[in-house]
Amino acid sequence: MNIIEAENLSYRYPASDKAILDGLTLTIEKGDFLAIVGNNGCGKSTFCKTLNGLIPHFITGEFKGSVKINGHDTKTMTVSELAHMVGYVYQDFDNQIVRPTVLDDASYACLNYAYSDYLSRGKEALKLCGLQNKEKDYVFELSGGQTHLLALAGALALNPEVLILDEPIAQLDPGHADLIYGILKELNEVHGKTIIVIEHHSEYIAEYCHHVVLLKDGKCAFKLPTKEALNHVEELKEANIFVPQVTRVAYALKSRGYNWDRQLPISRDEGLEYFKGMDFWPNEKPASFKRGEVIVDFDHVILGYRTMSKKRHVVFKDLNLKIYEGDRLAIIGSNGAGKTSLLKMLVGLSKPLSGSLKIMGKDTSAYKPQDFAEYVSLVMQNPEQMFIADSIASDIAFAMKARNISDYEEKTAELLEAFELTALQNRDGRLLSGGQMRRASLAIGVALNPEILLLDEPTANLDMATRKEIMDTLSRMQDIIKTAVIATHDMQLVAEWANRIVVLHDGEVIADGDRDSIFADQRVIEEIGIRPPAVFDLAKELKADNRIYTVEEFVKQARV
Amino acid sequence: MTKKLSTNILDKLSIDYLRNQVLKNAYGNLDTVIAKRDPRVLLIWYLFFGLVPWFVDDLYFLMACFVLVLVTTYLAKITALVLFVFAIGVFSQSGYLFIVSLFFGGDVNTLIPLLILTLKVSTCSLASITVFSGLDPDRLANGLMWFNFPERLSFSISYAYRMLPLLMSEFQNVLLSFRMRGKAPSSEGFKGKVQYLIYQVKMIMQSFYPLMLNVAKRSRTTVEALEIRGYRNAATSKEVRKLKLADLQFTYDDALFIALSILWITAILLIKR
Amino acid sequence: MENTQTQANQSQKLMIFVLSMALYGLATLFTELIPSFQVGIVELSVEFFLFIPLTLAMLFDPLSAALGAATGEVVFSEIMLGQFGGLGELEKFLTVTIGVYVAGRMVKDPRNMKQVAVAAITGTALQLAMGMIVDICKVEFAIEEFEAVAGLPESVYFTEGFAFLNDLLFSGILFCLLPTMFLVPRLYGKIEPLLGMEPRTEKTYLGDINFKTVIVLIVGFALALVSQMAAESGMTLIEWEFAWAESFESIIFGIFAAAVLAVVALLVLRRKQNKVSE
Repeated sequence: MNIIEAENLSYRYPASDKAILDGLTLTIEKGDFLAIVGNNGCGKSTFCKTLNGLIPHFITGEFKGSVKINGHDTKTMTVSELAHMVGYVYQDFDNQIVRPTVLDDASYACLNYAYSDYLSRGKEALKLCGLQNKEKDYVFELSGGQTHLLALAGALALNPEVLILDEPIAQLDPGHADLIYGILKELNEVHGKTIIVIEHHSEYIAEYCHHVVLLKDGKCAFKLPTKEALNHVEELKEANIFVPQVTRVAYALKSRGYNWDRQLPISRDEGLEYFKGMDFWPNEKPASFKRGEVIVDFDHVILGYRTMSKKRHVVFKDLNLKIYEGDRLAIIGSNGAGKTSLLKMLVGLSKPLSGSLKIMGKDTSAYKPQDFAEYVSLVMQNPEQMFIADSIASDIAFAMKARNISDYEEKTAELLEAFELTALQNRDGRLLSGGQMRRASLAIGVALNPEILLLDEPTANLDMATRKEIMDTLSRMQDIIKTAVIATHDMQLVAEWANRIVVLHDGEVIADGDRDSIFADQRVIEEIGIRPPAVFDLAKELKADNRIYTVEEFVKQARV
Repeated sequence: MTKKLSTNILDKLSIDYLRNQVLKNAYGNLDTVIAKRDPRVLLIWYLFFGLVPWFVDDLYFLMACFVLVLVTTYLAKITALVLFVFAIGVFSQSGYLFIVSLFFGGDVNTLIPLLILTLKVSTCSLASITVFSGLDPDRLANGLMWFNFPERLSFSISYAYRMLPLLMSEFQNVLLSFRMRGKAPSSEGFKGKVQYLIYQVKMIMQSFYPLMLNVAKRSRTTVEALEIRGYRNAATSKEVRKLKLADLQFTYDDALFIALSILWITAILLIKR
Repeated sequence: MENTQTQANQSQKLMIFVLSMALYGLATLFTELIPSFQVGIVELSVEFFLFIPLTLAMLFDPLSAALGAATGEVVFSEIMLGQFGGLGELEKFLTVTIGVYVAGRMVKDPRNMKQVAVAAITGTALQLAMGMIVDICKVEFAIEEFEAVAGLPESVYFTEGFAFLNDLLFSGILFCLLPTMFLVPRLYGKIEPLLGMEPRTEKTYLGDINFKTVIVLIVGFALALVSQMAAESGMTLIEWEFAWAESFESIIFGIFAAAVLAVVALLVLRRKQNKVSE
């Protein structure tokens, strides 16, 4: 039975001259777990908003065609009627939570629709999302992952048959991402909900979704079972979706004639079967690099702060870490391990309680953040936070201008050119696309030509194509910036970019080495729950001494 | 003064501290005698002690009220920040008038009416602190709703507390960018202090440009989500109102609170006789 | 679709309300903490961040921006910090709303800097002038022998008058006019799409301020003033002046006795209840 039927659906936003949905026809079956993929601006979110009636009831614009939920036309229903059928979790889910406490927010919709048992309905929803012991907590005490679960509970409370999630794991670390999808899976299988996700993480699509819909230019390009869909490698690539690594490897080898008649594998297990018996060339020797002078020296640093309940929270008990010129250092570790605190100390936003932090041999205890800025520059996780002026050109120029650098105009022009932003220089950073935003934030970061560049989660929240673009930019930047530190959960980035990896756990450095030593260290991997790139595991499984980190390396080392 | 100013605005006052104090004040002391009161009782209580002293000049009565609100403020376990703001408020409302009146030929006689004025201001302020800071914001919002205040106000109160941490971190991030990338003038000497102050003020003003855009993005999602979650349905529905107000309960303790307040005031008035 | 249209307009208004409330509320939370802007004898009563609602009112629906800002101030700086001043807040609420609303209505085209400047300073002046009048009345009511105290009336008039001029010419220009002129052109065309709206043009402009609006505004201000007076006259009616007539004294005693009885009775009842619940 079809729960959703969209027919010849067209929609144009007010104040826009192009239709974002243009004759879209699509049916979704009851009980499906469906991924919607497509380029930025292909109408994914817009389509989902036609399902819960925000379009056309709440957002005006030109609406043609029809959408039926459970056989009812959305045009003839009200938003509140639709809210009982379709739940929606936004990408910026933080802003859809409007009440200060957990249970309050989960039961908010039920209260508003005058269910006298609103509290027990809220509790029920929280239980489904694994938040049952957080009922009395305040929203500001929750972690990012828990906040997302709360937004999900809020949408579930009205017991809708359909659940829509816009990029549910974009802002989460892998542990929380698994948790979310685990819950979605249960909702789908045990409670019979129809789940629709807008998603570009193809590994998750492969593992959890039954069908994939590709939207293109406001139309449905295809709707296929997941495995078949992920075999459309090129078509998906055009839509900025990179299929799982194992699929990419198989696809690349296919052009060399390997398994040319078989469907591509989409999961690790399928991959093991598909590549069974494959032989590999020996590993290449890791490129050696010369370690330079000490630039940063944390010497017996203790760092702590007071929490709201006046307890002292100690982040670092005794931190000793040296960063050398030429380091491309990745700092990894679970949430709360101290990654962000480390970066904050390096830009002077927090000061050690005792011990010393030396930068370029100079003690920094009397420095203000602006003094640090001469040596260290931080690119924040959310690029929007770096835009303080009204155009990216003036944002790039901002720090140079403040320091009376005489040729700042020329330097700004050079940076705009180097980061391919010249054509966009007069636009406001916030109004750019995700990739352009990131590039602009990197350009701002290197404007003062710092000794060290710090990057906080530079690839979080990006689709695969943009991610690749940023990776390319990062490697090109090595000419400009010699030393860089990245704090990240993205092991793919770590494996491809870093020449040194430091693992933090509970404020202590528990491992420090190159990728071969870190990823081979089972103790570290288990203790902090890091997940090496899929292709690394696959290769190791196929041949124990394989040290392969990227699709390209795999293809190169495979003896086909 | 300039020195005080420049150190006050940003260096000493950390935004974290401010946020923690406000949230702690709202949610940190939910088990006090005051926080447990029926919000309707407290609002009526406030209607008396927040307004009547303003119109009465009897010193005994004012002292009685003042002592009472002092006790309730103590009972409500108000945070330091709120008391600090209270002190500023009292001074700026009446303290400076005294100095001015001296210039126009006033003398010690001027002092007495002004002292009375100060007493009035303090009493009304402490009464409002007791009620508005002592109560959990959601209970306050429900209490106001019971008295038929616009629904938009009740919503704004609880939403503001949800929003505050988000707004603060947004503001903090913007300021952070300014502090890392900007360069403050040296604050040496008087001229330097003035320049430093101007720089800080300019920075705060400018920070509202990104802030406005960032918050605009957020409020769009919020309002859409509110629509889905039935906010507008609730605003007009009588049933929802009933549900929301269902947990307002008038207890013996509430009656006792009122009775004791009356007892104290009348006792003082009788003693005066 | 008629219905849909108005729903959408309502949603846009709610967005502006929320935006204005959040931003201005946050800003006033900070100003509440800045004590030292009391330069010597003169209290600078200017709303340092009035430029926020002014800007929003010029770009979007003026009434939502104005009401949002006024609500934001009440909620963030008055209620959160417990500084709610009763009727005095109603006055501030109304003067801020009126000032911002008028300024917002005056701007036909936010790209026209002259219009923006004139509107910003008019709105500020209006808000300050209304505040001054109410302030003077407030002190007169509060101090019974206002006229009798040597030097007091003059000092109040002088302070308030001086503060008004100073606020308008110094802080008004510095904190309201200049930031508004800085922000409006920069935000124009950028902030509207984020809220899914079209920028204001001469076409979408609400129309000139007409007679009816003026009447409503005057009534609003009168309400602000009357909110003080009404309470005062109500009090004198029930003889709050404590004439200490015999009957009054016995009334007080009666209340006292009743309160004693009530306290005793309640304590007993409470104990009973506690026993039952145990």
